[in-house]
Amino acid sequence: MQLVLQNLVNGILSGGILALVALGFSLVYGIMNIINLAHGAFLMLGAYITWQLWSTFGLDPILAVPIAFVVLFAFGYGIQRGVINRVVRAPVLATFLLTFALSLLIETTALFVWTGDTRGVQTAYTGANFTLLGVTVPWAKLLTLVVALAITGILYLWLHRSRLGRAIRATSMDVGAAQMVGVRVAHVYGITYALGAGLAAAAGALLTLSYPLTPTMGDPFLIKGFVVCVLGGLGSVEGALVGGLVYGIVSSFATQFDVTIAGQHLSGTGLQDVLALVVLLVVLIVRPTGLVGRATA
Amino acid sequence: MIRTIRLFLAAALVFAAFGVPVTQARAAGDTIVFGSAVSLTGSLTKEGHLTQEGYDFWKDYTNAHGGLKVGAKTYKVDIKYYDDESKPNTAQTLAERLIDQDKVDFLLGPYGSGTAFTVAGVAERKKIPMVEGNGAAEKIFNQGYKYTFGVLSPAKKYLQRVLEMAVNQKPRPQTLAISASSDAFSLEVQDGAVTWAQQHGLKVVYANKYPDGATDVSSVISAIKAANPDIILNAGHLQDAILVNKGLKEQNVQAKIIGYSVGPDTPDFVGTLGKDSEDIVGGAQWSEAVGYRGIPGFYRTAKEYADAFDKQFHHRPDYHDAESTAACLAFQYAIQKAGSLDREKVRDALASLSITTFFGLIKFDNRGLNVYKPMVVNQIQNGKLVTVFPAEIANAKLRYPIPVWGKR
Repeated sequence: MQLVLQNLVNGILSGGILALVALGFSLVYGIMNIINLAHGAFLMLGAYITWQLWSTFGLDPILAVPIAFVVLFAFGYGIQRGVINRVVRAPVLATFLLTFALSLLIETTALFVWTGDTRGVQTAYTGANFTLLGVTVPWAKLLTLVVALAITGILYLWLHRSRLGRAIRATSMDVGAAQMVGVRVAHVYGITYALGAGLAAAAGALLTLSYPLTPTMGDPFLIKGFVVCVLGGLGSVEGALVGGLVYGIVSSFATQFDVTIAGQHLSGTGLQDVLALVVLLVVLIVRPTGLVGRATA
Repeated sequence: MIRTIRLFLAAALVFAAFGVPVTQARAAGDTIVFGSAVSLTGSLTKEGHLTQEGYDFWKDYTNAHGGLKVGAKTYKVDIKYYDDESKPNTAQTLAERLIDQDKVDFLLGPYGSGTAFTVAGVAERKKIPMVEGNGAAEKIFNQGYKYTFGVLSPAKKYLQRVLEMAVNQKPRPQTLAISASSDAFSLEVQDGAVTWAQQHGLKVVYANKYPDGATDVSSVISAIKAANPDIILNAGHLQDAILVNKGLKEQNVQAKIIGYSVGPDTPDFVGTLGKDSEDIVGGAQWSEAVGYRGIPGFYRTAKEYADAFDKQFHHRPDYHDAESTAACLAFQYAIQKAGSLDREKVRDALASLSITTFFGLIKFDNRGLNVYKPMVVNQIQNGKLVTVFPAEIANAKLRYPIPVWGKR
């Protein structure tokens, strides 16, 4: 029973950060129809900015989150208006190739700047934990979850309450209609992509608390973010959140299952990713729009 | 799906980008050219660069000492590198390119078992000898290949030494938990440790594998905690070691010994984890403390090697550096023994080689694997790596049992 509770907590803690990773990816995909393969590289940049601030000035990673967000927001806006906007109407393969090239460029640059050495951030609360009802909760991961949820909440409110946020949602529903009522689509796309990059950086900044830094650290998160956003439903804040939590909890509980089929011992631990993908498959069959996604026109 | 497309795109870009080699080398009549695809980018970047350092160190030493004397003639040596991006398929393509287009004389191995495995296939097909120092999975050597030689101890031995040391401690540990990443090397490491433990009366209370490249191992840690073992080991690479170590502290898991197959030996481990790396042990191919006395022709002791290495690269060599240099040494002595650059003669000389170097005994079984050189066990004490086992060469005493988290 204790292990069940512990795994539930583990799943929620790891799902929360996955939700934040997926959030920016999902916005860009849902609104601009761009599969942004540079998302993992943006995440990595956010992590390295955080590490640099920590190692040079001793700045706490949590305080570096807004800085990483702002820097990558500006970077993302520039990239979108300067590079990606030129092919935004081209077939999906063009943006695919472009964002992939971007990710290679960014990762290789990072390799020059920060070398391939593995880095890490140590804070006073790294590894510190408390126990509640027999369940051990690490402070760093709890803090990560709280900040990730807060960012998700703020984004949700912003998208629904602010003028620009509503323009973004309008553009995702119908580009033509949005243009007709005076939405500057190019600006909206720029802001959306910038948000995607900023959110990736925020996730990267938070990840420094629990994950080692290398120039390629973003790659596995890119793939997980992709799965999470399809699982939850494209382009929505709720979708990323639900998808992330489901992914986290499923892969956490997978470790509890050990089955023997026809003499072959199969451990759930080794099948964490597989089980999460099976869930994705089932969801796509039953609800092709994702868990909380809506059908689009 | 996205991974497949990414790989496809990566391959396309690699082909496009490889008009320009990483370093310029040339095969003139008086230079022996070695070729190697190493991981200069990608997930094994760090280890790939260490490998390159180890090779370059030998190259620079040899050229500074006049070159390599083969028969009556003296040759300069050069190494041509390509970046395999830590991908086995890319390494394979590049190995073919090194042989067919660049006409290298011999191959030095890539970093890692995955890449060494594909390159070994190429070496066999093209009948060109390869010596590698960074692929320890026995899978590479169980294919019946005749042209691949590994100077390092096989994967199964990585953590056996830690257990051998553990059972001699008082109070004797009774139980073992060992997790592993799902790659060929790590699974062999785990298998070797589990088998040894069972034969020597240690109860294995947890032995599971998690996906290769996992980003979160907290549930694995929870399961280990529930099993309450005396010894906690992980078979994996540097990233795994860091993730598992962070996880163990986060969930407050205590044990008498905590050890990793790869990680503690690289300076990054201490740099990334700080004081949480204290007292952690690791199986190692080599350490500065080993007391071998090598035959003439190169630095003869680990200490001399390490000091000279430090002067050139401004850091102490770890075992990845040393085993890479050792791969070059195998070639050096085999070529001299063969008295020729003929590939078949050099291959035969490698197969019957038996020399002691600063790295230890280099001798291959009939599969091409160096099963004769023992592993050592290192521990991090006061932020420094010291050798604690076997006792004959240890330069520090094992701290046992290790203090609880937060008391280090």
